[in-house]
Amino acid sequence: MKGYQLTIEQKESIQGVEYTPYQFFNCVQDINNVWFTFLSDSDIVAITDSEWSWILECPLVEYVPPTPPPFPNE
Amino acid sequence: MLTVGLNLKPRVKKSFDSDAQAFFTRVTVAGGTLSATEKLATNQLVLDLKSAGIWTSMKAIYPMVGASASACAQNLKSASFTGSFSSGWTFASTGVTPNGTSAFMNTGLIANTNLTQNSTHLSSYIRTTNIGSQVYMGCSGAAGPSTNLIYLLNFGFIAINTSDTIATSVVGQNGLFLNSRTTLTNTIQYKNATALTTSAQTSTGISTTQIYIGAYNNNGTTAFFSNNETAFSSIGNGLNATEEGNFYTAVQTFNTTLSRQV
Repeated sequence: MKGYQLTIEQKESIQGVEYTPYQFFNCVQDINNVWFTFLSDSDIVAITDSEWSWILECPLVEYVPPTPPPFPNE
Repeated sequence: MLTVGLNLKPRVKKSFDSDAQAFFTRVTVAGGTLSATEKLATNQLVLDLKSAGIWTSMKAIYPMVGASASACAQNLKSASFTGSFSSGWTFASTGVTPNGTSAFMNTGLIANTNLTQNSTHLSSYIRTTNIGSQVYMGCSGAAGPSTNLIYLLNFGFIAINTSDTIATSVVGQNGLFLNSRTTLTNTIQYKNATALTTSAQTSTGISTTQIYIGAYNNNGTTAFFSNNETAFSSIGNGLNATEEGNFYTAVQTFNTTLSRQV
């Protein structure tokens, strides 16, 4: 799965920020602790021509998730 | 002589249940829209839950109708616990689908301040069958008890207000999954109208964090992202077997009316 690769500064500027009244940005780290955000088609529509349209210009890179933690209470 | 024919038909005003109508209003105010079928299905769901005596057991009901974040974030039960979606969700008439990587919905409902330790249920109506280590909904405090619906490969590891879990063999990953605690020492896990397990799992506490849908709120860290489509979720008091059966019938009727039943 490909996601938008972010710098730490870019991540800090959007994490948790609402881009619609009921939606906010969430960023996750990959296996190398690089930050990514993922946008659905409707997310892309929502931020196109907005102050966050710069995200769409970030590198679209294959995301490798970190090793998952132990399953809770397993 | 000119004759004007008037086609006068009696106007029938649809009357919805007041709680259903309040939900429709919240959706509209939020900027969402619902189809006539979605309104009829939701209204009937409210009537069925009230008729079965389980409406009052609900704290939050997310019917996931309207194919938008603004509509799907609304709680049918009340104006409280309006959800908030992270980026990465897809909204459709069939439900809401997280991306399995970063997406979750925060219900804003904190388990220990809004639920009762020995009477709690969580439910999710899952339409798809993507298998993996994922949590449909839930939360946990720091090394504390969990309130969750978890599915790991073909097994469900489930807990309600305890640090213990139950490994339940699940045949088929889609349907209505419901985890209910009705007493200090009794939990039952259901798929549709069938009890998968009954356990004497003792309640040891209740989580201090907000319940997420589509992932697990592990004391503030989001993990175990799901990529399965959800067409209904609820949070509330524990349901006994009769109540669960009636609940499943109501939810299945609701999703059948919307042509998205599994």
